[in-house]
Formats: sequence, structure tokens, C-alpha cells
Amino acid sequence: MVHALEEIKRLLRLDGSLIEIHPVPEAPSIEVHSGGRVSFAEHDPGYDYDDLRHAEDAVGLMLERGLFVMDRGCEFDFVTDGSSVAELRDFRAQTGAYDDGPQDEAVVAGQAKLYARVEEVISASREEAEVAYHERGRMARLTPVR
Amino acid sequence: MSIRADPEGNEIRALFDLVDLGGQEVLEIGCGDGRLTWRYADRAARVMAIDPFAEGIERAKRSLPDALRGHVELHNVAFEDLAAGAEPSTLDIVILSWSLC
Repeated sequence: MVHALEEIKRLLRLDGSLIEIHPVPEAPSIEVHSGGRVSFAEHDPGYDYDDLRHAEDAVGLMLERGLFVMDRGCEFDFVTDGSSVAELRDFRAQTGAYDDGPQDEAVVAGQAKLYARVEEVISASREEAEVAYHERGRMARLTPVR
Repeated sequence: MSIRADPEGNEIRALFDLVDLGGQEVLEIGCGDGRLTWRYADRAARVMAIDPFAEGIERAKRSLPDALRGHVELHNVAFEDLAAGAEPSTLDIVILSWSLC
């Protein structure tokens, strides 16, 4: 990781910037949106704290080692929505295909149970309902230290 | 309706708020299917977007907007491999797109 960050620094011009985007290390939620409000929200049991801590540590490391200084940063909501649970699950599985290794059985079962409850909430909704995956993102602008 | 990632545009608003991409040479590391790339690329002078996962890059190539052809280069390569043969001090902006975790 440090080598990659050193390489990024090497490739940047003197006045260049590194923009780093990663998820905030707090569990994303699976939500149902209907009638302009959030009618159901529960944390994703498949959230991988280790991965997220890894990103936080990497940013800390690049600052600690004096490779970059942080100019500015912000947090933002990142929502992915779909018209059906199946659609969202497929999409999440596709993007999650980048993760290393198989998921824990209990986690998979917990997610299946949660998605089943979301299906029930959508079916019972009197208004048109959408399912959404709600994450928080963190973005920073970093300047290389010469 | 198909899947909509960040329909409110919070991520791209945050990016534009942090950096002026106008006329800049940009490298995006971890572009995946190009979801973020398509939203900012027209502002940059040139974008090279890379991802080590072939499936993501294939989806990006299939969904590359016509208006960005010739403006955005997509490569299925790990950053370390790309960097090994790259000249120093050639980039204005590097975007690490959800790729540190």
C-alpha cells in the first residue's frame, strides 16, 4: 500500500492532487422508500468492518509518513436504489464480487432474512416503494509533500 | 426502473466541490464500471481509468458514452503495473475511487 501511494506521488505533478474516496466505517443500511420518506431501515449484516478500517488506516498512513497533506475533506450520502429487492441484490452481488474470499454463512443467512423482510415491507406498502442501499462516503483532497 | 447509483449526485457534487478538473490530466484508480468516470470526464482534458478487475472494465467499455470516446481510456490493469512504466510528474489529478478498501 505504501509503495502504491509513493508511486501516486511520483506520478503527480508538483501542484497535483490526490482525491481519495472511501466508505465511512459505519454499517450501511438497507431501506425502503415510499411516499417520499424512509419507511424501513436496518443495518446490513454483511458489512465488512475490516475492509473499511483498512481504508481509514491507509489514509492515516499516507499522512503519517508525510507523503501527502490533507487540504480538504467531506462526507456525503451515497444511495443506490432499485425497484425490486432482487434487482438490488443482483447489483450488490456484482459489485461485491471484488471482495476477497467467501462470506461467512451466518452473514449470508442474515442478509437473506433481512432482504425477505424488505420484500414483505414493499409488498405491504400502500404506495409505490423502492429499495435502497444507503452508505456514507468520505472524500479528501490531498497534496503531495515535496 | 433499473439500478440507480447516487441518483441525487452527492458524490459528484462533493468531487466538484473539492477539485477543479477543468483541463486536467486525470488518472482514476478503481473505476469499476465507469459509474463515476462518466460524470466528470467531460470536464477533464483527458482521463485514464483503470481497474484490475476485468468484469468491471468490460462493463465500462460497453457503457462508455459516445461523447466520451477518444477522451477516456479504459484499461484492465493494476495500478502498480501501470505505474512501473509511467513517466514521473505527468498527472494533475489522481482519483482513488473506493479502491483503498
